Amino acid sequence: DDVTLRASHQWPGGKGDVRDEMVQLIAKEAKAAGVGLDVQVFPGASLVKPKDQWGAVTKGQIDLTAFPLDYASGRHPEFSATLMPGLVGSHERAQRLNDSPFMEEIKSIVEEAGAIILADAWLAGGFVSQQQCITSPETAKGQTMRAAGPAFEEMLVGAGASIASMPSSEIYTAMQQNVLTGANTSSGSLVSYRIFEVAKCLTAPGENALWFMYEPILMSKRSFDRLNEEQQQALQEAGDKAEEYFAGEAAALDQKLIEAYEGAGVEVVEMSKDDFDQWLAIAKETSYKNFAERVENGQDLIDKALAVE
Amino acid sequence: MRLYIKLVSALSRLLGVIAGLFLLSAVLSVSQMVFVRYMLNQSTVWQTEYTTYAIVAATFLGAPWVLIVKGHVNVDVLQIAAGPRLRLVMEALSGLAALVFVALMTYAAWYHFEEALTNGWRSDTVWSVPLWMPTLPMWTGLLMLCLQYIAELMRLATEGAPAPSAHGTELFDETVGSTKS
Amino acid sequence: MSPLVSGLVMLAALLALLAIGTPIAFALGLVAVGALFTVYGPFFLETLGEQFFSAMASFSLVSIPMFILMGAAVASSPAGKDLYEALDRWLNRVPGGLVLSNLGACSIFAALSGSSPATCAAIGKMGIPEMRKRGYPAEIASGSIAAGGTLGILIPPSVTMIVYGIATETSIGRLFLAGLLPGFMLTVYFMIWTIIACRRRGIGLSDLTESFSMRERFAALPRVLPFLLIIAAVLYTLYGGVATPSEAAGVGALFCLVLVAIIYGVFSHSWNFRQMPTIFRDTLKESVMIMLIIGASELFAFALSSMFITQSIAQAIADMEVNRWVLMGIVNVFLLIAGFFLPPVGVILMTAPILIPIIINAGFDPYWFAVILTINMEIGLITPPVGLNLYVINGIAPDISLGSILRGSLPYVLCMVLGIVTLCVFPQIALFLPNLVMGVAL
Ligand code: NA
Ligand code: NA
Repeated sequence: DDVTLRASHQWPGGKGDVRDEMVQLIAKEAKAAGVGLDVQVFPGASLVKPKDQWGAVTKGQIDLTAFPLDYASGRHPEFSATLMPGLVGSHERAQRLNDSPFMEEIKSIVEEAGAIILADAWLAGGFVSQQQCITSPETAKGQTMRAAGPAFEEMLVGAGASIASMPSSEIYTAMQQNVLTGANTSSGSLVSYRIFEVAKCLTAPGENALWFMYEPILMSKRSFDRLNEEQQQALQEAGDKAEEYFAGEAAALDQKLIEAYEGAGVEVVEMSKDDFDQWLAIAKETSYKNFAERVENGQDLIDKALAVE
Repeated sequence: MRLYIKLVSALSRLLGVIAGLFLLSAVLSVSQMVFVRYMLNQSTVWQTEYTTYAIVAATFLGAPWVLIVKGHVNVDVLQIAAGPRLRLVMEALSGLAALVFVALMTYAAWYHFEEALTNGWRSDTVWSVPLWMPTLPMWTGLLMLCLQYIAELMRLATEGAPAPSAHGTELFDETVGSTKS
Repeated sequence: MSPLVSGLVMLAALLALLAIGTPIAFALGLVAVGALFTVYGPFFLETLGEQFFSAMASFSLVSIPMFILMGAAVASSPAGKDLYEALDRWLNRVPGGLVLSNLGACSIFAALSGSSPATCAAIGKMGIPEMRKRGYPAEIASGSIAAGGTLGILIPPSVTMIVYGIATETSIGRLFLAGLLPGFMLTVYFMIWTIIACRRRGIGLSDLTESFSMRERFAALPRVLPFLLIIAAVLYTLYGGVATPSEAAGVGALFCLVLVAIIYGVFSHSWNFRQMPTIFRDTLKESVMIMLIIGASELFAFALSSMFITQSIAQAIADMEVNRWVLMGIVNVFLLIAGFFLPPVGVILMTAPILIPIIINAGFDPYWFAVILTINMEIGLITPPVGLNLYVINGIAPDISLGSILRGSLPYVLCMVLGIVTLCVFPQIALFLPNLVMGVAL
C-alpha cells in the first residue's frame, strides 16, 4: 500500500524559491514513478521549526527536508565548514567540491547521524548594507551586522564590524529602524525576506563570492530503510533530478537576486578579486583558525577543501 | 504524606525564587546589550541567547510554584456549578490528566537533556553554549511540577476539594458596586 | 482516519479536558501528545523535548514577560493611579471615559509592540485595577483590554504581518501601512461600543456625580509626567534606532523599575524597595502561565499540521468554484474557526501558501486581504480555547472569571466583524495609505 512521506523546509511554498522547487520536484517525481509513494510538502516551517529539522529528520519524525547543514553545527562542529567564508568561491567550484574527499567526510558524518543526502546544493549569498556598499573589509568597519552563522560573525568582527545576533525574522525591522546597518545571508533569503525594501546597497555573489552555504535535501535513514527497493530507487532518481535542476538554476538565482534589488532601486556591486583575498586573509586569522582549534582534525578538513581545484 | 507535601512545596517555592532571579537577569542582559551596542558601538554576542534561555528557565522553574498559587488558568465553570462530590471527581481527573502530560514532558525533557549532555551538543552561535545548560532547568522544573501535582492530588485526597475559589463566586456576581474599594 | 475526523476527535478530547477544569496549557499539551502518538508512534517522545524547548526559546517571545514586568512595576507605584485620576478629572463627563482612554492607550502601545498578548499585558496590568476601582463592571474592564490588546498585531509593528509578508512575498513595509488606518478604525469602533454599553447600562456613569473645576483638572496634570516619560522613553528606544521591538520591551522594563524606584521611592516615599519581590512574583505568575500555553499551543499546532488537517481544509476551499464574495465568506469562516484553535502565526504558516494564490486569482488585493486575515486572527486571540489575550487578562486580574472576560469581549468581537464588513465595502481604508506613501502596487 501507499507510503506517505513528510517533507519539511523553511522557505515560502509555491513562490519559486529554488529549495521549495527541489522538494516539490522530488515529490512530483516520486509520485510519478508509480511505486506507491506520496510526499506531503510542508513549506514555510509549517511543520517543524527550521533548526529543529535536524533532530526530526535524523530520528525519522520527518522523512525529507531541505536543510542548511550549518544549522546543526552545534551538534556536529565539522558542519561549520559548509558555511565558511571564501571556502567555495564560485558555482563551478561548488560542483567540484561535491565529489571531493572533503565532502565525503561531511557526508559520512551526516549518514552516521541518521540521514542520507538525496541532492547536493550550494547556495550563494551576499551582503546588504544601509550605509556604504560592503566590498573590502575596510567598508564593513564600524557597521553593525547580522551574519548567518558563527564563522562569518568571527570574520566580520575581525574586520572591525560589530555583530548583533538576532533571529532572521527580525532583520527587516532591525534594518528599517537602524539597529542593524548590514546583514549577510543567502541570495534566496535576501529576496524572500524582502530586505531590498530597507537596503541601500547589495553586494551580489558575482565572480568572487565569499558566501556559500551547503543546503542539501536530506532523507531520514530510518524512513529510507523502511521503504522497498523500488521506492528507494525512485527517491534516489528523483533526488538526482532535483540536483540536476538545481545545477541549472544556481547561476540564475544570483541573477534573480540582482533583478529584485535593481528593481527596488538598490545599488548593486560585486567584490573584486583583491577584496575577496583581503577577506580570506582575515577569515584565515579568525574563523579558519577557530575552526581548526575547535574541531578535531579541523585543519585537515579545511586543507582538503582548499585542495580542490 | 504531610511531610511529602511540605517538603515538595518548600522546594517549589525555592525554585520560584530562582525563577524570579532569572527573570531579573534577563531584563539586565537585554538592557546591557542595547547599551553596549548603541552607546559603545560594540559587538553583542551572548545577550540575545542568554535572555531567551533565562526566560525559558524562569518559565519552567516557576511552574511548580505557580501551581501552588493556582496560577495555571483553567475553565472552571462546570466545577463551580457541580456539587461537592462531583467537583472532587472533576478536580482529581483534571489533576491526573495534567499529571500525565507533565510526566510525559518530564521524560521527553530528560531525554533531550541527556542527549545534549552525552553528545556534547552546543548552540550554533559564536557563544556556543553547551545545550545541557539551558535544557536542565526545563527538566528540573517539569520534574518538580510532577511532584507538586502529586502533592496537590494528595491534598485533594486528604482534605477534599477546596471551597469554590473567590473568583469562582465572581462568576455569578454581576453586581458592579461590590468591586468598589 | 480522514483529516476531518481526526480533527473532530481532537476537538472533542480538548473540550472534555477543558470542561473538567484541566489547566489550558496541559489540556492542549495532552491532546497534542495523544494525537502525535497516533501519527508517529511512541518514538515521537525523542523529539518532543527539543520541540517544546524551542517553542519557548524564541527571542520574540521574550517581550511578553518584559511588558508584564513593566506593567507590574508601574502598577506597584502610584503612577497608574495618578494617571487615571487625571484622566478621570478630564473625562468624567464622557460615559465610559476611562475605558475610552484605556482603548486609546492600547492603540498607542500597539505601535510599540508587535504582539497582542504583550500589548494586553502592558495596558491591562494598570488599566484593569484602576477601572474596577472606579466602578466599571469587570466585564467591560477586562473585555475592552482583551480586545484593545489585539490591536498589537494590526497596528505596526506586527509579528503577524512580517510572517505574512514572508510567506506571501508581499512588501512588509506596505503591509505595515495597510494595517494602520484599519487599526484606528477598530479603535473607534471599540470606543463607540463602549459608550453605547456604558450609557445603556447606566454604569461607568457614577463618575458623573462628581464634578471637577478646571483648576482641579490642571492640578492633576504634573503627576502624569512619569507615565508620559515612560511612553516617550519606549517610543524613543524603538523609533530612534536604539533597539528592536523585542529589545525595547526589556529596556522599558528596566527603565520602569528604575523610574519607579527613583521618583516614588526616593522623592515621594510612596514606594518602598520591599515591593520589589511582589513585582517579580506577580510577573512570574502571569508570564509562566502564558509561556506554557504558548509552548503547548505550538505542540497542538504541530499535531494539527502533522495530520494535515488545516492544510486539507484550506485545499478543499481552494478546490471550490464559487462566486468571489462567497469564497471570501467561506475563507473568513475558515480563518475564524482556525483562529479559535491556533495562534495567528500558526494559521498563516499553514494556510497562506494554499489560500493566498486563490485569493489573488479571485481578484482580491493581497494587502487588503492581509488586513482581513489579521482581524480574523485578532478575533481568535479573544476566543477560547486558544485565546492568548483571555489568559493574559485572567493572569492580570485573577478575580475576574474567564466567563466574565469572555462575555465582556464578545461585543468587541462583533465590532471586529463589523470592521471586516466595512473593509469589504471600502477596501480603500486599508489601501489608501500604502498607495499614498509607496505608490500603487503592480
Ligand atoms: Na503593533
Ligand atoms: Na482563539
